[in-house]
Amino acid sequence: METPTLENLPPRAASAADVDPAAWEKVRDAFAEALGLEPDEVLFESKVIGELGAESLDFLDIAFRLERAFDIRIPRGGIEQSARQGTGDERYEVDGVLTELALDSLAAIMPEVPRAELCPGLKAVQVPELFRVGTFYNLVVFLADQKARGVVLPA
Amino acid sequence: MRPAPAFVFLVHPLVPAQRVVLGLRQLSLSRARGRRPETFGRIGTVGLPAHALGEVLGLMMEPEAMLADPQAAVDLMERAARSVPGIRAVGLGSLCALVGGRGEELARRLSVPVTTGALATAWALHGHARAALKALGRPRGPVAVVGSAGPVGELVARLLVRDGVEVRVDNRRGSRAARVCAGPDEAVEGCPLVIGAGTSGGVLDPAALARGAWLIDVASPGTLKGEPERGVRVLPGEALPLPAGWHRGLWGRAFHRVAGYGPRHVYACLVEPLVLAASGRDRPYALGSRLREEDLVDFDRRARAMGFSASGFIG
Repeated sequence: METPTLENLPPRAASAADVDPAAWEKVRDAFAEALGLEPDEVLFESKVIGELGAESLDFLDIAFRLERAFDIRIPRGGIEQSARQGTGDERYEVDGVLTELALDSLAAIMPEVPRAELCPGLKAVQVPELFRVGTFYNLVVFLADQKARGVVLPA
Repeated sequence: MRPAPAFVFLVHPLVPAQRVVLGLRQLSLSRARGRRPETFGRIGTVGLPAHALGEVLGLMMEPEAMLADPQAAVDLMERAARSVPGIRAVGLGSLCALVGGRGEELARRLSVPVTTGALATAWALHGHARAALKALGRPRGPVAVVGSAGPVGELVARLLVRDGVEVRVDNRRGSRAARVCAGPDEAVEGCPLVIGAGTSGGVLDPAALARGAWLIDVASPGTLKGEPERGVRVLPGEALPLPAGWHRGLWGRAFHRVAGYGPRHVYACLVEPLVLAASGRDRPYALGSRLREEDLVDFDRRARAMGFSASGFIG
């Protein structure tokens, strides 16, 4: 069975125009319910922390609702893990600052984040501030796809 | 004869002393019954016998484990709730109120209303804030609400704005009626009163508070990143004075004592399932991320009738 890597990742949605409507509806509703928002306040490109106001424990709630909606298990820190895998043996960060390779890796994993925001000097701890609702859409669609193919991902 | 329990209240130990009390209680029960200790257990019976009594059940699950595996936490909560027959409500304390979609997953599995305590917490905070503003001689504020993105903070900010108070919030989700600031430190600048309404704290620099400011806090751990500066007063936002006739046994007293509020106060979130069970309502006061003002009005009326008051905070 094929192990998921950056090279064989399924196509990811870079904008709202690319989404599967049924999957998007589930993602949007999960965010709206977790954050006490109206569904139409949740956009694919909304920044989860900066614009929707999510706090750390909200991510727990969001993840729980997405797991239930898609019948998947979201690995904690999964986006960072994938980005680290994308840098191979090279360094992901130096003194907390992401390397060029790490930025390229994140750009491949998160096409919904404008490349200009993945700029030199970005710290690893700042990455969650870049997360869009679309980041979670792509993650859960990927995980649901892997599950359908019978791929077991590390927890 | 004491009436049968009408509700259960699910908690988990937050600090080592609570773990010790719960562990000893479990050990004594299991020895008496000749069984291995359970993964949850009865701490005590509390409440108002004239209205409703409840069983406080402690889950032997660490906060970290609950966050790492919410499904296992909900499974344990379900088992605990089902262990007391005939109840009319389930209340959730601390992280129990957060995991599993803020009570929604547990509610789906049970046939009785599950309530998170968030409404009673907002009720207590609002009452305490009004009393504090009066005591400070600043009825119009300004008041900063830290943690305004959550359901409790959002509702408290809204209620204070309606009272005619100038309110600042630290997050745009709490912004519908208040001034939005860039963050907690900016929101509290120059405010004589600060409401710490977040779920988890450690977000506010103590130096950002005005000299002599009062912080009414429900966050656990507390809203401040460190020790408060001299002259700043930190008040427990969820503490309600015990009404006349309050019942609790020896173990309930022991657990309560290490919970931090002392022997004469009770958590507002514990009062919520009590009022719910006594009222016969089949709709919870708080479930998920939204709190409704009409529910607050109903809760306020019933809670006051039972002798609860949200204006006498611990000074």
